[in-house]
Amino acid sequence: MEAFGLLVHGFAVLLTWKTLLLMMVGLVLGIFVGVLPGLGGPNGVAILLPLTFTMDPTSAIVMLSCIYWGALFGGAITSILFNIPGEAWSVATTFDGYPMAQQGRAAEALTAAFTSSFIGSLVAVLLITFLAPMISSFALKFGPPEFFAVYLLTFCSFVGLGREAKHKTVISMSLGLLLAGIGMDTVSGQLRMTFGSAELLRGINFLVAVIGLFGISEILLTMEERLALRGHAASISLRVVLSVWKDLPKYWVTLLRSSFIGCWLGITPGGAIAASFMGYNLAKRFAKDPQSFGKGRIEGVFAPETAAHASGTSALLPMLALGIPGSGTAAILLGGLMVWGLNPGPLLFVEHKDFVWGLIASMYLGNVVGLVLVLTTVPIFASILRVPFAAVAPMIVVSCAIGAYAIQNAMFDIWLMLGFGVVGYVFKKIGIPLAPFTLALVLGNRAEDAFRLSMIGAGGDLRVFWSNGLVGSITTLAILLLFWPIIDGLIRRVGLARGGASTSR
Amino acid sequence: MRIPVKAVGAVAALLMSAPALAGWEPTKPVEIVVAAGAGGASDQMARMMQAAIQKNNLMKQPMVVSLKGGASGAEALMYMKSSEGDPNKVLIAYSLIYMLPLSAKIPFNWRELTPVSVIALDQFVLWDNAAGPKSVKEFIEAAKAAGSPFKMGGTGSKREDHVLTVFLEQKTGAKFSYLPYKSGGEAATQLVGNHTESNVNNPSENLEVWRAGQVRALCVFDKERISYTTKVTETQSWHDIPTCKEEGLDIQYLMLRAMFLPGKVTAEQQAFYTDLFQKVTQTAEYRDYMEKQALKPIFLTGKDMVQFLEEDDALNKSLMTEAGFVAK
Amino acid sequence: MTAIRPEQLMSQTDIEIVVDDPTAPDENSPAVVGTGTIEIIVSIVLLLLAVTLGYDNWRTGASWDSTGPEPGYFPFYLCVVLAGGSLYGLVAALLARRAGGEPFITRAQARRVMAVFAPTLLFCLVTQFLGLYVASFLLIAGFMRLIGKIALWKSLLTAFLFTAIMFVTFDIAFDVIMPKGPLEAAFGF
Repeated sequence: MEAFGLLVHGFAVLLTWKTLLLMMVGLVLGIFVGVLPGLGGPNGVAILLPLTFTMDPTSAIVMLSCIYWGALFGGAITSILFNIPGEAWSVATTFDGYPMAQQGRAAEALTAAFTSSFIGSLVAVLLITFLAPMISSFALKFGPPEFFAVYLLTFCSFVGLGREAKHKTVISMSLGLLLAGIGMDTVSGQLRMTFGSAELLRGINFLVAVIGLFGISEILLTMEERLALRGHAASISLRVVLSVWKDLPKYWVTLLRSSFIGCWLGITPGGAIAASFMGYNLAKRFAKDPQSFGKGRIEGVFAPETAAHASGTSALLPMLALGIPGSGTAAILLGGLMVWGLNPGPLLFVEHKDFVWGLIASMYLGNVVGLVLVLTTVPIFASILRVPFAAVAPMIVVSCAIGAYAIQNAMFDIWLMLGFGVVGYVFKKIGIPLAPFTLALVLGNRAEDAFRLSMIGAGGDLRVFWSNGLVGSITTLAILLLFWPIIDGLIRRVGLARGGASTSR
Repeated sequence: MRIPVKAVGAVAALLMSAPALAGWEPTKPVEIVVAAGAGGASDQMARMMQAAIQKNNLMKQPMVVSLKGGASGAEALMYMKSSEGDPNKVLIAYSLIYMLPLSAKIPFNWRELTPVSVIALDQFVLWDNAAGPKSVKEFIEAAKAAGSPFKMGGTGSKREDHVLTVFLEQKTGAKFSYLPYKSGGEAATQLVGNHTESNVNNPSENLEVWRAGQVRALCVFDKERISYTTKVTETQSWHDIPTCKEEGLDIQYLMLRAMFLPGKVTAEQQAFYTDLFQKVTQTAEYRDYMEKQALKPIFLTGKDMVQFLEEDDALNKSLMTEAGFVAK
Repeated sequence: MTAIRPEQLMSQTDIEIVVDDPTAPDENSPAVVGTGTIEIIVSIVLLLLAVTLGYDNWRTGASWDSTGPEPGYFPFYLCVVLAGGSLYGLVAALLARRAGGEPFITRAQARRVMAVFAPTLLFCLVTQFLGLYVASFLLIAGFMRLIGKIALWKSLLTAFLFTAIMFVTFDIAFDVIMPKGPLEAAFGF
C-alpha cells in the first residue's frame, strides 16, 4: 500500500489549476498532431518537445505525457475515417474500423476505439502503479532468444487466418519480409538489396508503405466503385456512445485478453508494436465466426486498440525503469526527460519520487480527461465524412504526401508512397491480402536480428529457443498456435467420435 | 529570461574572434542532424544543444532535431552529402564518418563536408555485470576459462565497439562473441539481465545502471583517467576507474563528437556556426552535460580541427584494417 | 436545368458527397482487362523481383556459417519462397484463364480510377519541381473544379485555405520543413 500513499501524494502535486490547464492544452495539441497524418505520435511529440524546455520538469512532463495521450487517441481517428494509420499500431485498427466507417458506423467505431484505448491504458497504469518494481525485473529477462520467440508468436498467430488463397498469403508475407530487409543489415554492418542506390540505403519505411498501401489505394478503389465515402448516413449523437458502452460487458473476454497481451508485450522492451496485431489475431482466432472479421466488426476495433494502448502505456515502464523505450513515442519522451536531467534508470524511482508519481498520477488524470475530450469531439470528426468527396479526396492525397515526406524528409518517399498505392490497389483487386505484408514489413527486421543475435550467442545452436522456461514456453505456444487449426480439428473429431455423431466432419 | 541572455552574450562576445562578427544569420529553422536513433548519445547531445541555444537565446531561428539513424547512421551522412550549399543543416558527427565508408562502402568522405568544430571526446569503458569478475585480470582469466566464448554487447557492427572487442581478443588471447545491438541503452540492459558478460559502452550509456550498482566499470580505454572527481555512485567517481593500461591492457580509443555543415557553404556561414557552438560550450547546460556524461572537453576549429580529423582518420583506418573490417 | 445547376450543387456540397450518383446501376461497360491477365502479370513481376533480389543476396552471402546465418541467408530463401508462390500463382492463373474469368476493371471504372490517379501522379511531379504547397493548391482546386464540378470560386477558396492551413501548421508552427519551390523562395521561405 506504499504505492497508494505515493500516488495520493502524486495527485496532490498535480492538482493545481496551472497543471490542469497544461493538461488540457497538451491533450488538445496531442489530438491535433495525432490526427495529422505524418505527424502522429513520435513526430508530434518530438516537434512539441521544445515547447516544454522553459517549464519546470513536472509541468513539462505532464504536458508531454498529455500530448502523448492525445496523440494516441488521435491516431485512431484517421485509421477509422480514412484508412490511414498514423502509427504502426493503428494498422490493425483499420482492418475493421474502416469498414465500419464505410457502413456509416463511423461514430460507433470511433467510440469503440476511444473507449478501448481508455480501458487498455487504465489497466496498464494500474499495473505500473502497483507492480512497477517487479515488472522491471521481468523485462530484464528478455534476451535475443526471448525476443525472437515473441515475434515468432506474433507471426504464428497470424498464419492460416485469412480467407484468401494460401499461396497469396505466402506471397504477401515473403514480399513484406524481403522489403523489410532492404538497406543496412545491422548484424553484419553490410548493405543488402540496395543496388548502390542512396535512397534505398535507409530501407523502406514502414509508415510510407502503409500510407500508400492503405490511404492512396483506398482512394483509387473508392473512385472505381463510385462509392464515395459512405459516412453521410451516420447518425451522430451521445446515444451512439451510450449504446456502445452498454454492449461493452459482452466483450469482456476480448478486452481482458487484449489488455493482458498489451501489458505483457509493452513491458517487453520493444515489443509494443506486435501487441495490436496479436490482440487482433487472437480475437479472430478464438471467435466463433472468424470470417466476419475484416468486414466491420466492432470486436475488431476493441481488440487491437485495447492491446495497442495497454502496450503503449506499459511501454513507459521499461523506459522509466530501464531507459529502454518500448515505442517510438516513448523514445522521444526519453529524450525529453534527459533534457531536464532526469536520467531514466533503476534509480529514477528512488531519487525523483515526486516526478515519477506525479507522472503516474498524470497518466490517470490525462486518460480520463482525454477520454471525455475525444468523445465530445466524435461528432466533429465523424462530420468530416459529410464534406464532398471531390474536396476530401485531393486533401487526403495531399495529407498522405505530407505524411510520407515528413517521416524522413525525402522526396523519394512520396514516389514510394505512390508506388505502394498502386501495389495496394492491384493486390486488393486480385485478392493478395495486405495484412500479412504490413506485419512482415514492421516486424521482419527485428525478428531476423533477434534470431541472428541468438545464433551468435549460442554458437549456432537452435536449442537456445528451449534453453529456459520463459523462452521455451513462448516458442512452444507459438508452434501450438501455428498448428492450431489442425489441433482444433483433431480435438473436434475426437469429441465427435466420442459423442457417436460421425455424420459430419 | 532577458538578463541571463545578455550576460552569456557578453561573456561570449568577449571570447569571440573577429570573423564571428560577419553578418550572416540563418533565416530558416536550423536542422541538427543526428546520425543515430532516438535516446542515443548523439540524440541526447543534440537535445542538450537545442535546449541550451533556446534557453540562452543564442540564435533567432529555432533549432530542430532531425533523427536520421537509418542504415546505422549512413542515412544522415548521405543526407548531408546531398545538401551541398545548404547552411541550415548541421551534422553532429562521431567516428562513423571514418568507419562507415570503409566497412559498408558508403560513398561518403567527410572532406566533402565543411568542418565547424570538434566539441567533445567520448570515452569507452570496459564494463561487466556487478556479479561478475571484479578486475580486468580476473575478467580475462574467466573469459579464457569459459567453455563458450564470453558475450560482448555493443552498438552496431564493424564500428568502434566491435573494433575494441577485436583488440581485446588480440591483446589477451581470450575469445568473445560480439553481439551488435541497436543502441547502447539496449546493450546496457542486456548486460544487467545477464544476457551478455560485458560491454564497452560510453560512460553515458551505462551511467544509470552503474549508479544503481548493477554493473562494474573495469577500466577506461584512455591514456589517463577521466578528470571528474565528484562521486557518481555510492563509492566511486569517474576518476576512480583505472585506465586499461594501468590494469595491463594496453588499448586506447577516444571518439570524437564534432559538428559539420554540408559542403560548399560560405565562410560567413561557417563562421556563424563556429561562433554559435563556441557560445554553446560556454553555457551551464553544456558544462553540466559534459560532467554528467563524463565527456572529455575539447574545442577545436579551423586548421586545428582539420589536422585533428586527418590524424584521427588515419588512426581509425589503421584500426579498421587491422581488425579486418574494411570491405573489399 | 443547366442554369440552376451550380446553385443546386452549392447547397448540396455541405451535406452530400457528389461524385456520381452512387445508387445508379453500373452501365454495361466492356472490360478493359481480365483479372486472370493481371494475375499473370503480377506473378511474372514478382517472379522477376524474386530472381533479382535473390541474385543480389546470393552474392552478399547466403550460407549458414559458424555464427549463424549470413546477411543474405534469410532474404535469399525468402526469394525462393516468393518465387515459388508466384510460380504457383502463375500456373493457377494460366489454368483458370482457360475457364474464362471476371473482368479486372471495366472501361468506365478505369476512367474513374484514372480521374484520380492521373492528378495524383501530376501532383507528385509538380511537388518535385514546384514544391508541395503549390502542387497542393493546384490539385485541390483542379480536382474540385474539373472532377467534382464544384463552383470555381469555391474550389479556389477551399484549395487556398487548406494549403494555407497546412503551410502555417507545418512550416511555421511546427518547423516541419516541406519541399518548396520558386514561389515560396520568392516570398523568402
